[in-house]
Amino acid sequence: MFDYLVRRLLIGAITLLFITFVIYALIRQMPGDPVTALQAEQDPSRKIDPAEFERMKAAYGLDKPWPLGYVLWLGKLTTTLDLGRSFTHKKPVWTLIRERAGPTLLLSLTSLFLGYVLSGPLGLYSVMRANKTDERIVSTLLYMLYSLPTFVAALGLLYLFYQRLEWLPLRGIVSENYEKLSWWGRTGDIAYHMILPVTCYTYGGLAYYARFIRANMQEVVRQDYIRTARAKGVHPLKVIVVHSFRNTMIPMVTQLGLTLPTLLSGSVILEQIFTWPGMGRLFFESIGTRDYPVIMGLTLIFSLLTLAGQLLADVLYALVDPRVSYS
Amino acid sequence: MTVASDSTPVVSPPRGYWSEVWRQFRKRRLALIALIYIVFLSIVALCAPMIAGTRPIVCKYKGQIYFPCLAYFNPRWEPGIFLKDKFRQIYPKNLKKKDPESWAVWPLVYQDPYRRIKKDEWPGQPENRFGMEGVPDKNNLMGTDQQGWDVFAQLVHGTTVALLVGFVSMGLAGFIGITVGALGGYFGGWVDMLTSRITEVVMCIPTLILILAMIAILEKTTIWHMMAIIGVTSWTSIARLTRAEFLKLRESEFVTAARAIGVGEIRIMYRYILPNALAPILVPITFGIASAILIESGLSFLGVGPPPPNPSWGTLLNSGRTNLQMWWLILFPGMAIFLAVLAYNLIGEGLQEATDPRLKEAGR
Repeated sequence: MFDYLVRRLLIGAITLLFITFVIYALIRQMPGDPVTALQAEQDPSRKIDPAEFERMKAAYGLDKPWPLGYVLWLGKLTTTLDLGRSFTHKKPVWTLIRERAGPTLLLSLTSLFLGYVLSGPLGLYSVMRANKTDERIVSTLLYMLYSLPTFVAALGLLYLFYQRLEWLPLRGIVSENYEKLSWWGRTGDIAYHMILPVTCYTYGGLAYYARFIRANMQEVVRQDYIRTARAKGVHPLKVIVVHSFRNTMIPMVTQLGLTLPTLLSGSVILEQIFTWPGMGRLFFESIGTRDYPVIMGLTLIFSLLTLAGQLLADVLYALVDPRVSYS
Repeated sequence: MTVASDSTPVVSPPRGYWSEVWRQFRKRRLALIALIYIVFLSIVALCAPMIAGTRPIVCKYKGQIYFPCLAYFNPRWEPGIFLKDKFRQIYPKNLKKKDPESWAVWPLVYQDPYRRIKKDEWPGQPENRFGMEGVPDKNNLMGTDQQGWDVFAQLVHGTTVALLVGFVSMGLAGFIGITVGALGGYFGGWVDMLTSRITEVVMCIPTLILILAMIAILEKTTIWHMMAIIGVTSWTSIARLTRAEFLKLRESEFVTAARAIGVGEIRIMYRYILPNALAPILVPITFGIASAILIESGLSFLGVGPPPPNPSWGTLLNSGRTNLQMWWLILFPGMAIFLAVLAYNLIGEGLQEATDPRLKEAGR
């Protein structure tokens, strides 16, 4: 197991080097720079002074050929863990990421929790009522939900609940009078703004997990030990919940590892639609404004999480299933 | 004396692999409906200029037969004589005015995906309304957008984009994935080591980051760029599956037999193993088409796709985002994207079940 971990970590490090190198090479080929990109915008607070930009360019190696610039970026990162300062936000990249991680985690953790909590009963229900009419209808609906693109659903929900009924807000994470509210008022205000984004975040995963549980259960139900349990007269509900569902949890645990990267990277499209100040939106904006340090910082973090998630999934798999070993 | 063949019992020829897959696939009603829907979409895509357009499908003008509707596929195919005679894309009046002898067969709906129809361009048809006034009616079956362009015409012409994106990008991804996977699975050893590591590395790259970075480089994005970018970023699952199939099949008897009679390695890979591995490989390709359509419409929706005029369903949906009260700009393109994605997912699901031997054994 130890050898395996070392090998995986080594491959992971090489992969990380490769990814950041490719992305750095790509973004240095992008036409335009932060000054020209922000001149298109009219917001004077975010304008960059050309002289200031020249100084920053020198500091980040942007005036040198890109392979050299990459080495400089990597050097700073490995020696002082410094990701640099954002050109447009005028803050250190780490601070910026800390600010934006909160809103994204708020959405993704809530929806992960809801997805897991709701999909269990749904999956159990569809196994117990397998091939009955009501189960067919529920499963077909779940499948359709799974194929429904989030941006289509988001627009539909906005039309219904914002435009038509005027129940829910259009965008943002807080109302304009947020500062004046009490603590409870503020929590309520954020929750109120979260309803639509969380719904859009959750439904796809919910449908996916429920189908996943169902498919796994159907495989488990055919095993001999289930037949034995049935034959010796265990209550059918107990067979499903205790004997089969616990074994279905194995793949569910490994799924958890694979969702890790999406927890922090969020969803570019949903955060764009709801103007949610999260990581996905930050990444999208930073590409538009050619904010090189931010793009590189986010690329590093997203790739790191993807790799960690895959490793975690494999390790968890070996931990929960004694039949799997990597030695 | 009796002939030997008389006494042998009649044996029906063994069912081929593909017909077995098709027989299994056909059993699944939803998958079959989805397949029919995709065939229907393909017909719509091919016939788009004949369904909605402002150019005649076929016409006779000054003694010659022309097919002006083909110009929708490629602007250069517009017959030169209509440019010379200054038609300015208004065919109905000009045809009659400049040649009273002329005749023409018109598309089903006289609307254009790239411009607003003016009053009496088509005898008796009013000017297209625009913005909030553009609700669906008998002239604009699915309403009009802010500029007064017909939504139905844009959707019909957008079908071509959606289907092309799916086929071209997954064709590319399939080519890369099958080649990489086949090499690794067939040769094994250091080749396998190399291709597997490459696949692993590419799998770890967050796709969206790569796609956005690549698009940002291009000065002027076209739909072909998008297809290429989606294709080169989404081949990993195909490569993994191909590798697994090749690992399994290279040990089989027919491969040993082929090798014994001296068939070349490349020929064994592509003529002997690949046809037998293709059905399972089609599963990730089909799911890939669904996600390619999703990615393209998502990017167009975000506004990073090709600049207008781009009749993508995602672009249309994007105009609905800024005009929420115009529900027809959300409902119709949204449904189009949803149904196409759903159909490909259902086909993929059906194929998966039809090619999975474990499910067959279980008597399903």
